Amino acid sequence: MGKDSKASELVVFGATIQGYAQACINLNIVAGSKAENLIGEIEVTGWYPFEKLREIERVVTEAYENAGPILERVGMEMMLGWYHYGPGKEIVKRGVDFLYFQTGSQGYASVVKGPQELVGSFNLEFVDEQKGRARINSTTPFNKDQERGVIIGGMSAPGDLDYIDVKNQENPQIFEIEFA
Amino acid sequence: MSLDELLESGNVPTKGDVTEEELAKLFRKFRGLQKKQERDQAFWAATNENLKTAYEKLDEKDRELARAYAIIQDDLSVASKIQGALLPELPGKMASDLELAVYHKQLAEVGGDYYDFFKTCSGNHAIGVFDISGHGVSAALVMTYLKAQFMTILETLDSPKAIVEWVNSTSYDFLKTVKKYATVNFVVMNATALRYVSGGGFGLLLSGKNSTVFQKRDSFLGLRRRPFHEHELPFKKGDLLAMYTDGIVEAQTDKGDDYSVQRLNDLIIRNAKEPVKDIVDLCVKDYTKFRSKDSDDITLLILRKKV
Repeated sequence: MGKDSKASELVVFGATIQGYAQACINLNIVAGSKAENLIGEIEVTGWYPFEKLREIERVVTEAYENAGPILERVGMEMMLGWYHYGPGKEIVKRGVDFLYFQTGSQGYASVVKGPQELVGSFNLEFVDEQKGRARINSTTPFNKDQERGVIIGGMSAPGDLDYIDVKNQENPQIFEIEFA
Repeated sequence: MSLDELLESGNVPTKGDVTEEELAKLFRKFRGLQKKQERDQAFWAATNENLKTAYEKLDEKDRELARAYAIIQDDLSVASKIQGALLPELPGKMASDLELAVYHKQLAEVGGDYYDFFKTCSGNHAIGVFDISGHGVSAALVMTYLKAQFMTILETLDSPKAIVEWVNSTSYDFLKTVKKYATVNFVVMNATALRYVSGGGFGLLLSGKNSTVFQKRDSFLGLRRRPFHEHELPFKKGDLLAMYTDGIVEAQTDKGDDYSVQRLNDLIIRNAKEPVKDIVDLCVKDYTKFRSKDSDDITLLILRKKV
């Protein structure tokens, strides 16, 4: 599936898949021909079935008994790539801007398309800059450990925040964010 | 002094050195570092655990590989014994007519060099020396196939040309299929002469002071469907015949110098009066001293007509 893929199914933007795969390679989770297979044939401007992303996720979950911390790190690494080599710097000037970017799921909606019940949302519920608190509600099909990493990575990338903590242990879909 | 300058200096600040704002920033940074350390610890613990699992899997694969290797070695050992058993003893009548010595060494446990002694339908002695392309098990399997072909046809034919052509014709498709071919040096001897067919093999006949090198103009077995040529040479008491594959003559020194057909033939000619066993030993000794390492199967067969 390429650029013209219809969104009658759940599809992911090529750059996101490539960023995910590249993060796995950067962290030496995969190497050699396996790495080439992950990246191969993905066009950054194309749209691909969500299953393609699941395939990459399986590479991690099948290799690691405790995949949570690894997926979190993959999410962080992905966002460093997005910030330094993608459009991130233009969108996010301060760490907290990354949170605002999730208002109304706009960040998420730019990389995932398909039937709403499958796409879900990744929405900023509130942010209080004074208190250094925020909450994101996620009903996406993405792995929640990885999404926690995405939030940490996206907020850390500009380098202006001294402290970031994201918790979703009680309810995996609710990310309670503290920052300063 | 600013907080950054204080950190740069490495000196522990006193209360008066930092403002409340800077102290708060230090606190936030410290908490941030704590969180980062927690995440790092979790990441490295998972990575470490994965490494441990990977080593355990690697160990198991090593053990599997060792088991598979042992099975292959056992099989090769049996194959080597089978191939050894397929090489002929000198038949009694042939032993009384010919003084004969052979040096035969396969590069691996089994190989593609093959020699055999036969009796034609007319009761003449026949000797074949073959070099099957490649080494190892596949070449050894082809050897058993060719042996069966020669044994079959020698019951009805006497002419080396007819024998080799029949084997080539019946084996051609099979050898093409398995992508193999074989050099052939086939000799039939009667009371006064020898007739030979040579497709890629090496032969030298010494009769008194005369030496004749086999004409090896024909094709290999399994390479082409072409007629073979038969040559006849006088063969009388005391004459010496050497037949060999390319294992010795294509051996090289470390510098890449070839042993050469000339060197081997000269050595045989110089020592032609010696017992054939001694000539073979001399050739092997010279080869061993010359070559840097064995790189091919070797067959060297020397015989002298006794009667």
